[in-house]
Amino acid sequence: MLDIALSSVLIAVAIILSTVLQMGLRKSLLIGMVRSFVQLIAVGYIIHFIFQLEGIVYQILLLVAMSVVASFTAHRQVGGIRGVFIITWVSIIAGSILTLGFLIAFGVIDTTPRYFIPFGGMIIGNTMNSIIIALERLISQTRDRRHIVESALSLGASPRRAIHHLLKSAVRASLIPRINMLKIAGIIQLPGAFMGMLIAGASPIEAAKLQIIVMYMIVGCVSISIMVLSFLMPRFLFNKNEQLVFTEEKNILKL
Amino acid sequence: MVFAFKDVSKNRGEKTVLRGVSFETPESGVFMIVGPSGSGKSTLLRLFNRLDEPDRGTILYRGRDIRSINPRRLRREVGIVFQTPAPLPGTVEENIGFGPKQLGNDVDVAGLLRQVGLSVDFAGVMADELSVGEAQRMMIARALALRPSVLLLDEPTSALDPASVRAIETLVHNLVRKDEILIVFVSHLTEQVRRIGGEGILIDSGRVIYRDGADKLADMLERIGG
Repeated sequence: MLDIALSSVLIAVAIILSTVLQMGLRKSLLIGMVRSFVQLIAVGYIIHFIFQLEGIVYQILLLVAMSVVASFTAHRQVGGIRGVFIITWVSIIAGSILTLGFLIAFGVIDTTPRYFIPFGGMIIGNTMNSIIIALERLISQTRDRRHIVESALSLGASPRRAIHHLLKSAVRASLIPRINMLKIAGIIQLPGAFMGMLIAGASPIEAAKLQIIVMYMIVGCVSISIMVLSFLMPRFLFNKNEQLVFTEEKNILKL
Repeated sequence: MVFAFKDVSKNRGEKTVLRGVSFETPESGVFMIVGPSGSGKSTLLRLFNRLDEPDRGTILYRGRDIRSINPRRLRREVGIVFQTPAPLPGTVEENIGFGPKQLGNDVDVAGLLRQVGLSVDFAGVMADELSVGEAQRMMIARALALRPSVLLLDEPTSALDPASVRAIETLVHNLVRKDEILIVFVSHLTEQVRRIGGEGILIDSGRVIYRDGADKLADMLERIGG
């Protein structure tokens, strides 16, 4: 606990700097520090508890709970459109089942909690972030370019065809950071799993192998989830009369 | 008549934008919807091809309630051009061919460009590189590519220089002279209402307050300060 207290001094320095320089981040930093402490200690105890339990069912339940929280987070951040929660959840679950299922089926990772939970948590967290980028981009561009979308509708296009170019742009915006992550891995930054393995005493080669698996898994899951999302999204931007469901200007991203 | 609006009302949030609007359009020619800014003209226009739905009342298209017509089919017959250009990604040719392509049809791009007063050399130009005046003419060509029976023009000259305004107005006159088409033209400019001609309605605060020929509509618009 002393270690944590000492490391919190660094956040305190950031809070002091923010106050002195009038950056307006004092409250956010304080809330962030307290939330991360409470959430990580709580999840530590939950995972410690699950590690004691026999059977994969409990691990799956934990991942389902994580996916629900991730979907709720996306729903809160990308406000204004009905159905964001459900399409985010379906997209995350589809990507997770396919990637984790594939890796488990071929014995790349095993189903012990020590592997299954961290791997599941990583793909859910990364997928949630990419989904938020895609949703924010698609919704804000559809709103900004309403006349272009409605022009396409007025030319007899289906809703999916009318927003095709915006969907493409949103998918690219959400996947490019992941593709860049692959390109710069090990050059500009040492990724988390690699660092974790090194700290835990593994050899650098073993750490690198695991990190490669993690990155491929994340990019695979994010890609599948974003494709599912892009398939489902037009149903929620238009009503049954093929009319855009929103017309009023509104801030999308609630931070 | 092509369209008949019967006691149509439309709300935007708490605000009532159209109140009990009733009118009929002719079979062809120009039908003007005039009124001051914020009177509900654009909202009314969006109801013609079901980009929006009324909250009350009935709209008939050739005698049929438009709620019983597939929106895509209706929109192919009732084209719209907005106040500002809305080019789709791609070239002028791709834009003009967009509508027919949804049906698997080809289109005479050169003929349509000539019809709206643009050189055929524009066909390969990226649509977002056109000037506003050129882009508005391309928008009209794009809408005409589906051979609609009704063309909705929502203040199509509001962002144009005087020469381009005259070009669009001449185009409107040519279209109604040559084709069996109904053009619903929205404007808040008295002089333009006189130049375009035809008949129509004057709306203010969401109500139809007058219906007559274009000159009388322009006089009334002037009187209420439009």
